[in-house]
Amino acid sequence: MNNHSDSQPAKRSDDEFFSGYSRLPKGIKRFLLKFIPLLFVGVVLFGIFVPRVHDQFNPGKFSRGQFEGLLVGEPVPHLLVPRKGKIESGSQFSRYLLSGFSKSSVPAKVTDQIGKWVQIKGAAVHRNNLTVVATGGAKPIERPAGAPLQPEPGVPLGEFSLKGEILDGKCYPGVMKPGQGKTHRACAIRCISGGVPAVFLSHNEQGDPLYFLLADSNGKSVSKQVLDLVADPIQITGQVTQYGDLFLIKADPSTYQRL
Amino acid sequence: MSVAYKSIQWNRTKIIYDLLLFAAIGIYLFLFTYSAKLVSPDLEMRGLDIRAFGSAAFILLHVILSIGPLCRFDRRFLPLLYNRRHMGVTMFFLGLIHVIGFNLSDIPVLSNIPYKADGALYWYHDFGNVEPIVSLFAGNTHYGSLVRFPFETLGVIGLAILFLMAITSHDFWLANLTAPIWKALHMSVYVAYAALVGHVTLGAIQTNRHPFLTIAVGLGLVWITVIHLLAALQERRRDRAVAPPATATDHYVDIGSINEIPDTRAKIVTIAGERVAIFKYDGKIAAISNVCQHQNGPLGEGKVIDGCVTCPWHGYQYLPETGASPPPFIESVPTFNVQLRDDRIFVSTIPNPPGTETIPARIYPDADGAQSYE
Ligand code: FES
Repeated sequence: MNNHSDSQPAKRSDDEFFSGYSRLPKGIKRFLLKFIPLLFVGVVLFGIFVPRVHDQFNPGKFSRGQFEGLLVGEPVPHLLVPRKGKIESGSQFSRYLLSGFSKSSVPAKVTDQIGKWVQIKGAAVHRNNLTVVATGGAKPIERPAGAPLQPEPGVPLGEFSLKGEILDGKCYPGVMKPGQGKTHRACAIRCISGGVPAVFLSHNEQGDPLYFLLADSNGKSVSKQVLDLVADPIQITGQVTQYGDLFLIKADPSTYQRL
Repeated sequence: MSVAYKSIQWNRTKIIYDLLLFAAIGIYLFLFTYSAKLVSPDLEMRGLDIRAFGSAAFILLHVILSIGPLCRFDRRFLPLLYNRRHMGVTMFFLGLIHVIGFNLSDIPVLSNIPYKADGALYWYHDFGNVEPIVSLFAGNTHYGSLVRFPFETLGVIGLAILFLMAITSHDFWLANLTAPIWKALHMSVYVAYAALVGHVTLGAIQTNRHPFLTIAVGLGLVWITVIHLLAALQERRRDRAVAPPATATDHYVDIGSINEIPDTRAKIVTIAGERVAIFKYDGKIAAISNVCQHQNGPLGEGKVIDGCVTCPWHGYQYLPETGASPPPFIESVPTFNVQLRDDRIFVSTIPNPPGTETIPARIYPDADGAQSYE
């Protein structure tokens, strides 16, 4: 009578009792020897799959380099680098946006040279056809032989309504993966408020990325006024001008619509 | 055994436990990096580390929160509960590294191992025109909008709670904050969990929109909710099943037959709203409160070992006759007087103050020569 129980028949494992300072009872041990490996299988599966579904595999990278071109100030400082080789169609220039190091604008040493041909040393980052060069100075040079005298004027394309997202011109093409979206918002705001050019990313019908510089209706930079819209899905309606493979959209920032 | 305030009381079980825990985390972090590099060998690793540590912490939190309910369903999970606080503290550190990074060379003995992980504070918020910590909170202040809600703040709330839990996880604090406050503090792990689900949903998932991530986090939330509800239901059902009969006379209620209780084990009944554990051991019956002084573990699911009721959660011990831990320990729980009438056990509805000695009822009075109705 002492050892049996009629209303609560005990399973064998029920009578085993674990306490941290004694050895594991057999049944519990057998159970854990099955369960813990299962946990490890889960760890392995998660370890393999979770990094693959993160949107982090873009080719943005830094490379050091030296660039010669015509320095332009509006709407944001950028460098027109004459394209090498035969240019049958398209622009005679590649357009590289300029920023300072870290999350800053180009220093006065650079902006003092606006309108001149300069040589710039710095770190270039690019993603698709968006290139930004971080630099600390610009050395005036003679116009290279054979370089076009003047940049061709932009081609007005008319009014467009574009959906997309404002990004910073540096971390997005650079080392940040994905470098856009809400998780990247604070970083992009710091960049843009520090003077890195803001860039508007939209997509054409084929899904190819298109990059737009932002300007107000007078063609001036709007960077500081759009900070609160950075990384949000927005729609901009304005006049689009094409400069080679870079676009400019002119619209008053107060007309930007959050979607 | 209860507690002597050594920094941590190590034993074989805890060492194996921690080794398995660290091995699992090490394997996860390694595979995370390795798997990403397989896809893209020249991948920038610094941003990746943030995700590796953040996701490790989040997955570990699910494991931590699953252990409690699993133990209610199957007692063989109890060894996982035994050292759960080490998991909690480890999870806090994973979250901290996710935020502030980690450099092995800062640790003197390990300084020649070249391992460094950058945190979000450095990677996203440094190098700007304000301090990183300011950027963390100033980058997004749209608290009024769900879609735009600053996920960073939710992460900070989660981490702050985990920090409080981690620094108070030692039994020193349990004793000094008193069990109810400590318990309340540690229940806030559910607030932390909610904040971190928000952090992940409104941050990584909203940005990334990969169905696997969304489904995984959703399933995690459903799993945690469902097992907690089921465990609570089961608890309620148990309570109802053992509710005392209404035939209370002279403050004693009939809680059942001595044959219902296996030797060295207990039956748990709710008497006057309080759970009482009635133990059978050495031919005796004694009753104490079911609530362990350590972390409210269910003493009635414990076992009498070496003459002491041993808590199934972390092994605190109490003498069944007195409800007191054997010296030098000082914990004690209320006791209840018991009587035997034939083979029926009667328990007083009025608890004795913690540590009050009672006379256990003897199942074989003849052996002692006298019937013992207390
Ligand atoms: S020993 Fe921790 S709750 Fe009882």
